[in-house]
Amino acid sequence: MSATPALVFEGVSRWYGDTVALADVSFSLGAGVTGLLGHNGAGKSTALKLCAGFTQPSSGTVRVLGTDLSASPEAYRRIGIAHDRDALWPFLTARALVALCARLRGVADPEAAAGRALAEVGLEDAADRKVKGFSHGMRQRVKLAQALAHDPELLLLDEPLNGLDPAQRRGVVSLIHRLGDEGRTVLVSSHVLHEVERMAPRVLVLVNGHLVASGSTTAIRELIADRPRSIRLVATQGRALARELVGAGLVESLRFDDDAIVVESADVERFSRDLPRLAQGVGARLSRVEPVGDDLESVYAYLHQRARGVGR
Amino acid sequence: MISWPVYRLTLRSILDGRKPLALLFLALVPVVAAIVFAAAGELDPRIFWARLLQRLVIPTVTAFVAVVLGASAIGDEREDGTILYLVSTPLPRLSLVLTKILASWTASMALLAPAVVVAGLVSLDSRADASQILWPLLGVALSALCYCAVTAWLSMLSRRPVVIGALYILLWEGSIATFAASADRFSIAAYGRAIAVEGVLDVNAPDASAATAVLVLLGAAGVAAWAATRRFTRTELP
Repeated sequence: MSATPALVFEGVSRWYGDTVALADVSFSLGAGVTGLLGHNGAGKSTALKLCAGFTQPSSGTVRVLGTDLSASPEAYRRIGIAHDRDALWPFLTARALVALCARLRGVADPEAAAGRALAEVGLEDAADRKVKGFSHGMRQRVKLAQALAHDPELLLLDEPLNGLDPAQRRGVVSLIHRLGDEGRTVLVSSHVLHEVERMAPRVLVLVNGHLVASGSTTAIRELIADRPRSIRLVATQGRALARELVGAGLVESLRFDDDAIVVESADVERFSRDLPRLAQGVGARLSRVEPVGDDLESVYAYLHQRARGVGR
Repeated sequence: MISWPVYRLTLRSILDGRKPLALLFLALVPVVAAIVFAAAGELDPRIFWARLLQRLVIPTVTAFVAVVLGASAIGDEREDGTILYLVSTPLPRLSLVLTKILASWTASMALLAPAVVVAGLVSLDSRADASQILWPLLGVALSALCYCAVTAWLSMLSRRPVVIGALYILLWEGSIATFAASADRFSIAAYGRAIAVEGVLDVNAPDASAATAVLVLLGAAGVAAWAATRRFTRTELP
């Protein structure tokens, strides 16, 4: 594990006219895999572009492998980037494309490096086919292979699981784990929480350009589990059950919605544990218990509010 | 300064589409014109060849071929995102820009040079001598280089470099510069014409001396390459 962080953001903001894409983001990453989580438009791509030197911050500093990439492009020999654009030169074979990228990044034997990288992503059988006819999933893997071929210390992977089938996803996830275990710094973006959980033990969560949470994926998961949640219940004896729920102090609020009861609970675990007992007590039959608005949007919104609450 | 792997890649990229075929037809127009009209014998062959160069070969054929191929070399890659694979390498941006300009110029000359030689030989018939072919080739080569470099810069400024290039060719060079003589100072075609007719005809070279024109075109290409690089390092890539 390297002592100096491979990637450092210090008070980085990036705006486009009146639109703020990234607001005062600071973090530093060392070896291992880190997830960059956020919904579309949250600032993930802008953050990755800044890491890759494809754009400059409006304020703040970005240090990549201890240097400013725009001043010292030599550092690109040590960085592998798989960006989110789908285009590849259609007339090249996968092998030629990966070898070309490896050659430009100073690899002594680019052909051998390309062969190894394509084997890593499971594309050795298609290596000598032109990428023109490749599916989205195959293109994703070519992009990964070119990012790996020069044996980089830092990998920036933008949504690497997009377009892959389940078996390919498993392969890429285990490849990412291995890259982290080898002591490389890997930053991998996704808008899907459980994808990030599978890939990364650490996560940075971006909401509307703000870094609203960072830490171990488990801690973020717990943070999310702690938030108040709306739950929709369909039961017989609804009014009696509602009285019991309020009386037991299990819910923050409660309303009736047609034949259902919608409650807000701050302690979902206790609510789930006590609900069957209370229902049994009033002779209610529960036919449906489901979370409302338990999608990522509401998780992000909660984290954002929470971050504002602590003075961000 | 030049990255030969990127040069070969760019040439393949330019030649991969249908654009070169369409441009080949444009490059053949002066040859067809020479075959049809020189044979009619209405004009002194040298005057005919000078006019063909001044009014068709340089301002239209060379300009459009170089602008379209110049935009293919860098603008298309910027648009589709493949440029990101080239910028995430240790290659300095200046090298990338110069390599792209050289590749688009090579592709342009591959189309233009044979057409100029054949059109010249047909127009001049038995009176052709080396200088009557070489000066036009130099004029075409340098104006194509300048158009390619300016288009590389336009590709960094806008997503529609061909449209802007075409407007410059048609409105500025093709219209305004024809009645406002001072506008010719900012016309690539005017300097290209001055070089092209140097060895063909002593008259009717109104724009500049051939030596000045060579210097201006090289200087303008250099400034455009520098501006493109400067913009390339500051602009956000897709």
